[in-house]
Amino acid sequence: MEFLAETFRTALALILSLDGEVVTAVVTSISVALWSILFATLAGVPAGVAVGITEFPGKRLVITILNTLMALPTVVVGLAVYGIISRQGPLGELGLLFTPKAMIFGQTILAIPIVANFTLSTVKGADPRIIPTALTLGAGPFQSILQLTRELRFGIMAAVIAGFGRVIAEVGVAMMLGGNIRGYTRTMTTAIAMETGKGEFALGLALGIILMAVALLVNLFLNILQQR
Amino acid sequence: MNALYRLIGIRQSHGERTVLAIDDLALFPGKLYTLTGANGSGKTTLLTLLALLAPPTAGELRYEGEPVQWTNAALLGLRRQVTLLHQSPYLFDGSVFANVAFGLKLRGIRGDEKQRRVEQALELVGLPGFGQRRARELSGGEAQRVAMARALALEPKVLLLDEPLANVDRGTSELLEGVIAALPERGTTVIMTTHDPEHPGRLGGEQIHLIAGELACPGFVPEINASTGFQTEGVSNRAYL
Ligand SMILES: Nc1ncnc2c1ncn2[C@@H]1O[C@H](COP(=O)(O)OP(=O)(O)OP(=O)(O)O)[C@@H](O)[C@H]1O
Ligand SMILES: [Mg+2]
Repeated sequence: MEFLAETFRTALALILSLDGEVVTAVVTSISVALWSILFATLAGVPAGVAVGITEFPGKRLVITILNTLMALPTVVVGLAVYGIISRQGPLGELGLLFTPKAMIFGQTILAIPIVANFTLSTVKGADPRIIPTALTLGAGPFQSILQLTRELRFGIMAAVIAGFGRVIAEVGVAMMLGGNIRGYTRTMTTAIAMETGKGEFALGLALGIILMAVALLVNLFLNILQQR
Repeated sequence: MNALYRLIGIRQSHGERTVLAIDDLALFPGKLYTLTGANGSGKTTLLTLLALLAPPTAGELRYEGEPVQWTNAALLGLRRQVTLLHQSPYLFDGSVFANVAFGLKLRGIRGDEKQRRVEQALELVGLPGFGQRRARELSGGEAQRVAMARALALEPKVLLLDEPLANVDRGTSELLEGVIAALPERGTTVIMTTHDPEHPGRLGGEQIHLIAGELACPGFVPEINASTGFQTEGVSNRAYL
């Protein structure tokens, strides 16, 4: 009991003193997640909207695949991207492995299906009059789709935040592609996973508390958006 | 006079069901038409076709003498001349002003001219000073009138009105009837659906009556079904792109 209380005090002290190691891990986590979600948004939102508003043969299949991809185990994505960017892989010459860029690569792939799927369901639930209304007021096809996304902005923001929530909390990709290099690719999750094992329990706990706070904020945001 | 619209052998089907079958119909510019018929008789379907929002299953639609090409490039120019006020209109999230200005901005109308046309349109429907209200916070009848203002602001060549007076109070109905009746003189062709048996006579113009998707013979006295739906039928985000 005394051990836990003591560790907790140390963890709090680490957070409050803005311990260098803690701050670096938090900053790395958040910046990698932000870059990933930026790319995932650029790919996932248009994909979700496109699937949502068009009819084409095989649409069902595409949706099923998107759903399956949403549940991709992070280690599988890690494995696949590792294969692509490791020295012998097709992108091996870029030397991406164990860099933040590699983590961004993997987490983008992880987030795209989530962003696309959530966007898709928002579009499917959209008022069916939006596009015809825009068209009859003189909008072209592209402008009316733009108007549709404007009307759905809260749902699309929720999709993006859900994707962010997934990547900030994942450990598989960050560990396998980043390598948990101190001060470089060490994130909150990899630090918790590895450092705890090495007896740095207070550091792990400090990061765990921050991660929880971030997750809480993300969910709070999601909730507010879904009320709109 | 040359016809504005000409419908030849038009069929509109949903699956197996044919819901509109018009062999020959000509509509002339600068006139006012009232479109009547029971629920489900095909009024909205016909207006959706005339608004160039959905191609017919079969047949030919001519606009100003030319067969309509159902390609995005050709449609954009035509749709800028024709506006449909939906039976239960959709207002975009945002201010009333932004809604009424929507089509004006698309036509490159900005600044003072935009301001003037928005204010004028809101005045016409009896909602002066409503510009800064949030569209989502309007009452049903107010929303209907804002949608009407949004269409009027465009000063379109053709105004298709799907039961524009169904949700509004008596005073407003009289106000809007006056506005609608005055449009043909300014060169706007109006085609308006209604369930009110007095409208065709009071508004003047010609009456088109549909029975189960077909034109009723001239002079036929329609039986009127007063109930109006709150529907979004015949319209879908997907179908138009
Ligand atoms: N998307 C659709 N799918 C299947 N059937 C449809 C669709 N849209 C309309 N219909 C059918 O077409 C018929 C004509 O509908 P329409 O909306 O044109 O009637 P209406 O004359 O406008 O009726 P109301 O007075 O109720 O507005 C109806 O029987 C309707 O059920
Ligand atoms: Mg109707």
